[in-house]
Amino acid sequence: MTSEQQDARARKHPLAILGVWTWETTLAWIASWPAVSLVRAAYGSHPRGDAPLWTPGAHALLDLLWRDMHGASATARGAAPVLVVAAIAGLVPMASLMVTMAGAGRTPGLVGSVAGGLRAFLAMALLLAIATAAEALALGAGAFAAYLAEAWTHAGLGEARAQQLGAAVALPFLVLVAAMGVTHDLARAAVVRRSAGGARALVAGAAAFRADPVSLGWSWAWRATASMAPVVLVGALADRLGGHGGATLVLLALLHQGVVFGRVALRASWLAVALRRLAPAHLDASAR
Amino acid sequence: MRPERAPERGPSAARHDEAARPGQKRCRTVRLGRARVVHIDAAGRDELDPAPLERGAHDPRRVGRHGPRIERPGTADDLRHGRIRADDSRVRTLTSALAVVLALATSSTGHDGRGATAGPVPFDDAALPQHAADVVDYTLRASLDPTAHMVHGAGTIRWRNASTTAVHEIWLHLYLNAFKNDRSAFLRERVGGRGSQAPEDWGWIDLRTLALRDPGGRTIDLLGGIELRRPGDDDETDARVPLPRDVAPGQTVEIDVAFDDRMPAVVERTGYRGTFHMVGQWFPKVARLEPDGTWAHFPFHHLAEFYADFGTYDVTLDVPAGYIIGATGPTVDARTEGGRRIERHVQGDIHDFAWTAWDRWRASRERIDGVDVTVLAPPGFGDIAERDMAALRFALPYESAMYGRYPYPVLTVVHPQEDAGEAGGMEYPTLITSAGPWATPAGVFLPEIVTVHELGHQWFYGLVATNEAAWPVLDEGLNQFAEVDAMARWRGEGSAADVLGLRVSDAAIQAVSSNGAVHDEPVAQPAAAFSSGANYGRLVYSRTAAVLETLARVYGDDAVTGALGLYARRFRFEHPGPDQLIGVFAEVLGDRVAATLRAALFDRGWVDYVVESATSRRGTAAAGVFDESGKRETRPSRDETGWEGSVLVARRGTLELPVDIELSFEDGSARRERWDGEGSSTRIAWHGASALRGAVVDPDDRVMIDMNLENNHAGVEGRGGGAPLTLERATYWAQLALQAVSP
Repeated sequence: MTSEQQDARARKHPLAILGVWTWETTLAWIASWPAVSLVRAAYGSHPRGDAPLWTPGAHALLDLLWRDMHGASATARGAAPVLVVAAIAGLVPMASLMVTMAGAGRTPGLVGSVAGGLRAFLAMALLLAIATAAEALALGAGAFAAYLAEAWTHAGLGEARAQQLGAAVALPFLVLVAAMGVTHDLARAAVVRRSAGGARALVAGAAAFRADPVSLGWSWAWRATASMAPVVLVGALADRLGGHGGATLVLLALLHQGVVFGRVALRASWLAVALRRLAPAHLDASAR
Repeated sequence: MRPERAPERGPSAARHDEAARPGQKRCRTVRLGRARVVHIDAAGRDELDPAPLERGAHDPRRVGRHGPRIERPGTADDLRHGRIRADDSRVRTLTSALAVVLALATSSTGHDGRGATAGPVPFDDAALPQHAADVVDYTLRASLDPTAHMVHGAGTIRWRNASTTAVHEIWLHLYLNAFKNDRSAFLRERVGGRGSQAPEDWGWIDLRTLALRDPGGRTIDLLGGIELRRPGDDDETDARVPLPRDVAPGQTVEIDVAFDDRMPAVVERTGYRGTFHMVGQWFPKVARLEPDGTWAHFPFHHLAEFYADFGTYDVTLDVPAGYIIGATGPTVDARTEGGRRIERHVQGDIHDFAWTAWDRWRASRERIDGVDVTVLAPPGFGDIAERDMAALRFALPYESAMYGRYPYPVLTVVHPQEDAGEAGGMEYPTLITSAGPWATPAGVFLPEIVTVHELGHQWFYGLVATNEAAWPVLDEGLNQFAEVDAMARWRGEGSAADVLGLRVSDAAIQAVSSNGAVHDEPVAQPAAAFSSGANYGRLVYSRTAAVLETLARVYGDDAVTGALGLYARRFRFEHPGPDQLIGVFAEVLGDRVAATLRAALFDRGWVDYVVESATSRRGTAAAGVFDESGKRETRPSRDETGWEGSVLVARRGTLELPVDIELSFEDGSARRERWDGEGSSTRIAWHGASALRGAVVDPDDRVMIDMNLENNHAGVEGRGGGAPLTLERATYWAQLALQAVSP
């Protein structure tokens, strides 16, 4: 690996990771604002604020959801398109992060990073569309295969075993979808590293994956697993800390944001791996 | 003394009083485990009662002056219901940190009930009746043909006229005919609820023999005169059988029967799926004859269940070898011969008999509280079977202590697959069916709730054998409360679900789900009178449970569960009606509570407490013209130090329940007043050193049937707590959702 490739390290760019976290947090605030407004309208004047909603037992919460069912469902429906648009628009901060990490020792700065991200947007969007379609097909095929396996064996194996067999049949398709995701990220790295268009980047990404699928797959998988564990752990803690304001709420918020930031950092770490695997075209030639 | 609640994992209550030295203020520190401390200064009082308060009792102890305080000592019960919090900011910081450590040190959810005991028995169960008065005995043999889904039955019914009048007919329930065609009462009544789809394969019961044995040993055919239907009605579930002679009070008759059942594809708790057979309501069952000589007969209505006399069932089951049988009562004989498995089950003091046979059952067995428990589950359901068993480890001893010792030697739990789910969630004497898919997440307590619920029916329906068709509130309603109570004792505030930081209680679900139907129709009415299956569920199950839970929280756990325990014991092996239930509540809790219960169940009683307003202003000295000591003086209006104002609380609805009203002040202090709920409103005037922030009625969430919790508070204009917790959580969940869909 050349020194330029070695430079692609997430830990060297904490501000860039913070930038992505800031983007996600801002959008999350926007998406959650209608729900918060609904709650504030109902409980804002309570001496303890919305604390009753988060008291163990959930009586007040269930009462609010039942009473404001239409508002709650409208809120959820309103948040969904925000999230979808944000997912697409999120290509820019992600690409900016990758541009920063691929800076080859010369960090481009905020303006340079964003400009790089914008330049990469079209190619990234094309890759996103192709990858989404391919993954949806793979998931659909897996679901259908699982359904067939379960239906064919239900009478013979019984319900539980047949469903477990169906899950086992679906597993390879999930691995395929994961492999598609890894290839997608490698293709993104090609866009940043080699200024490739969507199609060329896809070819380069696929080639990189084919060259070392096990190592790349493991590198992605352990990070994906590590990003889920804190979600479960902190979730279990949340109820023990919940229903309270003040310092307890601050502590919970810190824990939650620690989880979110950690997940962003792990994602950045993986993208840095992808960048290191996709050397710029001129370096590839000189390395040979 | 009531049974102790099973300890919730986490802090436990401990308390100590620090004795005062002469001339010194006396303080009490209530330490709730290691994570919370609420410091109460009861300065100046000499008579401190260290005994924990019962839920609902108001202690007008004077507040102290050491920072924030609450009116009365906290108990573990307060902690369990989330009513205690550390108000002192320094304590909050410390306890928050401790809570993190504590949470890390403890596992996330409850426990399997091992070691959780029901505690001391509040009643003398040695004095309970040991047996029912036998009225009708069945000696039957049933042979299963699993290929044709047929059960061929034969035997003898021995019936005694236990009424005060002679009868010249008997009535038989032929419930399986509900699935014979779509003209049955069951399928004609399109009210929704379970079993609303016509079965994929029809079922019926055909009587082949019905003959009265006379004392001389001859048999007199009764089948020729049977009246299967009423004119203009195709339903064949309610058959009248004229008798050749009167049966005098106290006289016993024997009737030979032979019949063929065709089991339907599983519907409404009975039927087959593949080789799985759940055989319920499968034999000609004699209707109950009331003491006054009237027959309690009725067709099988869509929403109704059953009613019969006590007796002994001696049933021999004959199934293919390789099939495992689960049935009411213990196995007294079992053998395999001629390629058939034959088991004889005998059980007295019951009023129904059901059984299952399947070649794929996996059995797990355990002895719990002196009862041989068997859980039958499909292959791959091992974890679920263990969850069912864990539920029984807690609930069987607990409910025995609450409602009278479970009197039978065995209990069988049948857990069907989801594709036979219509067979799940049902009760028969000593046999219950549970429900829940094999992959039910650990924090979603569906199998546990169903198991505990169906177990409770051993008392409310089984031992206290009420007319389920006429008064479903007396079995499903009371039992729903028994389920809510047992699950709360076992799992605390997460008794329905405890998933990723969100704990949902069974009581909350019942309270909220019943709100939608409160004004529609009464709770206490015959099952067939309900307008829909949805209302039946919301009112009979949820509303009854929410009402009783409210009474328990307002008037005391001990009192309400004690009343229910007394009712269950007093009418064990009997057939009480709603008046008997109300009467026991009057006896234990008084006429006012009994009247409230009656209004809630019979008269669509409802309540909604509302904080109409909360005002706060600077205190003012008296102003105007005053004549004192012979002088006239004019005093201008001027502010005094201090604050004053009022809080107006209204009660809407027809039920009167005492409630607390909590006034919260800007300095962090709080003060509670008690309102007896009489009258349509109450106004509380207050004076104090700090401005009022707001007021809350029923801050401890005792009145679960309050129709609208959103109006239970009011803030002084411009003040309030906002929605910081929701903002924090919603942001976090939105971030996770965004990360899931983002590149």
